[in-house]
Amino acid sequence: MRKSLMQYRALLVQSIHVEWANAERWLSPLLFAMTILILFAFAFGRVDEQFIPQLFIAATYLTAFFSLQIAFSRVLEPDMQDRVFDQMRSYPISPSAWFLSKFTLVLMLGVMILVPTLLLSHLFLNEGRNNLLSGSLFVIALIALLGLGSVGVLLSTMMLRSNAKQILYPLIYFPLTTPVLLAAVESSRAHLVEGASLENLLSSWLGLLVIFGIMYFTLSLLLFGELIKPD
Amino acid sequence: MSSDSRQDKRLLISGILAFAFLAVAWLWGLRFAPSEEHMGEVYRIIYVHVPSAFTAFSSAGLLLVLSLLTLLRRSESASLWAKASAEVGLIFTIITLATGSIWGRPTWGVWWTWDARLTTTLILSLLYAGYLILYSSLAPGPQRDRIVAALGVIIALDVPVIYKSVTWWRTLHQPPSILREGGSSMAPEMLATLMLCLSASLLVGAWMLWLRVTNLRLQQQIDAYSYQAQND
Amino acid sequence: MLEIQELNFHYQYRRIIRQLSFQVKPGEILHIVGPNGCGKTTLMSILAGLRREHSGTITLRQTEGHILADRRTQVEYLPAEANALFGKMDAMRNLQFWMELRDHKPSVDAMREELARWDLDHPLIRENFPVERFSTGMKRRLALARVNLAQVSCWLLDEPLYGLDSRGIATFQDMLEKHQAGGGMALIVSHDTAPLQKFAIQTLDMKQEPSR
Repeated sequence: MRKSLMQYRALLVQSIHVEWANAERWLSPLLFAMTILILFAFAFGRVDEQFIPQLFIAATYLTAFFSLQIAFSRVLEPDMQDRVFDQMRSYPISPSAWFLSKFTLVLMLGVMILVPTLLLSHLFLNEGRNNLLSGSLFVIALIALLGLGSVGVLLSTMMLRSNAKQILYPLIYFPLTTPVLLAAVESSRAHLVEGASLENLLSSWLGLLVIFGIMYFTLSLLLFGELIKPD
Repeated sequence: MSSDSRQDKRLLISGILAFAFLAVAWLWGLRFAPSEEHMGEVYRIIYVHVPSAFTAFSSAGLLLVLSLLTLLRRSESASLWAKASAEVGLIFTIITLATGSIWGRPTWGVWWTWDARLTTTLILSLLYAGYLILYSSLAPGPQRDRIVAALGVIIALDVPVIYKSVTWWRTLHQPPSILREGGSSMAPEMLATLMLCLSASLLVGAWMLWLRVTNLRLQQQIDAYSYQAQND
Repeated sequence: MLEIQELNFHYQYRRIIRQLSFQVKPGEILHIVGPNGCGKTTLMSILAGLRREHSGTITLRQTEGHILADRRTQVEYLPAEANALFGKMDAMRNLQFWMELRDHKPSVDAMREELARWDLDHPLIRENFPVERFSTGMKRRLALARVNLAQVSCWLLDEPLYGLDSRGIATFQDMLEKHQAGGGMALIVSHDTAPLQKFAIQTLDMKQEPSR
């Protein structure tokens, strides 16, 4: 247990160092998100006040969904150079510690993309008329991130050796995560438009979102161990 | 060699029988079954559509079982069967989408609508396609078997959940207006015809599965022979 | 002691290793030789736990009678065409990471001492200088430094001398000598046999059998 924790820490610290050394890796999804948001805001122009919350939700989640996919698909790229990944497989690393470190990294990257996207989207689309940002919205987005992140890590491990990953990753990632996106959008809509509280939402869409998070996390944790075993 | 050619013959004959059965079932459904009072003759496509959908979703179930077998037992033949079941699943998903679209035009007035079942089926077809592309993009070997098996597990477990969430999304969003679901109170003759078509479709699906596995095995043998030829 | 019994491995239709049995006792160095494509690298990757043997047993005993459940805890692998280094990180960071994964407390002094052995302990080289800008020989030396710092009993070295100059080779011989004296085992694949002449080595010849 203590050994796994040490390994988790070492793996996570190393991953953060690597990300920090390649600023391009986390900057480009962020810039991508900004571009999409600007396009959204420009295309819609002035919008009737009552539609703003819905537009805000749609634009934010779609943008986040796409830029997260870019970040997730590249999460194992540094490990592929110079056969680092295989070397790690030859070390006595606990698969759970390995998965959890990558998952934590993905969550950190996800928050780094999600928070600016929410703020910028609010700034661009809402034009400061009414305040739509709230702690509850961040909580919903974070729970969605849990489900998306675990699928993200698992898929990038699967496609490590595939020569078609640029096309394949979105092709599989988007269908698998559609339910998460739907549940997140519905929860946010109910919260912003109908003013439902998180406790009330827990029995409907938010509950589904939580179940997804748990399901994808468990599945990914179990299957990740299978993927790194000796062939 | 003679056992191989005997198996070939068996495969051919059973294929002819399966397709003949399917032709009879379809003919029965499309020509002789009674017509429906609300939808008239159009409804008959149900005899193609529903069985295909059922076969497509059964393939997902089969994919789950075979993928688990690959992962837990490291069985090489299970992974061949899994690939074949994904292929058969993709074919039947496409038939389902096509017939659904044809059915939708006269009944709902549109070729496509974001109905729960349609959306789920579309997603399933994308996932099957993704599975097959991933399979072909990896170098053969036990590693590939394990990777695609992991994907197979996720896909198969995901299908019911995607279905549920899409249903909720749609039903909470807009009232089920023109989208009349296939009647649960079906005339017994129609139900009997539907069952006939269903078993025919499953039979053809099973036969295709068998054919594909035979082909995949053959491919492996050819590879083995060509390797031997290189080394002689 | 490392004991391999009746090991079999085939890739697709190609039998690569057939009924291979041998053992390596503490303090022994095994030089694995054979023509190209006879499965030397494959054998290494099987022993390292990257590939799974199709049949046969591999047992690594730490002491007499004590069989390791996970042999990877006592095995360090150096692949042939790669060094498994993070290109964007500096030498110290790389060493520290791999040591932490083995649950060794990396002390800066120990790492610097090791780097000094390999002529890499210059302040402009060891820190804030990404490994990707190292020359081929420097990368190999750093990878060998990691092997030594791993403090394991069994080394799997696939072409360890690739890119090393004569000084590097001398350091390697020195490192191997200490390892042997301490009761360590080493399996070495190398086409450059001269530097190994000074050691008492066992040789395993993996002649390619007609594949069928």
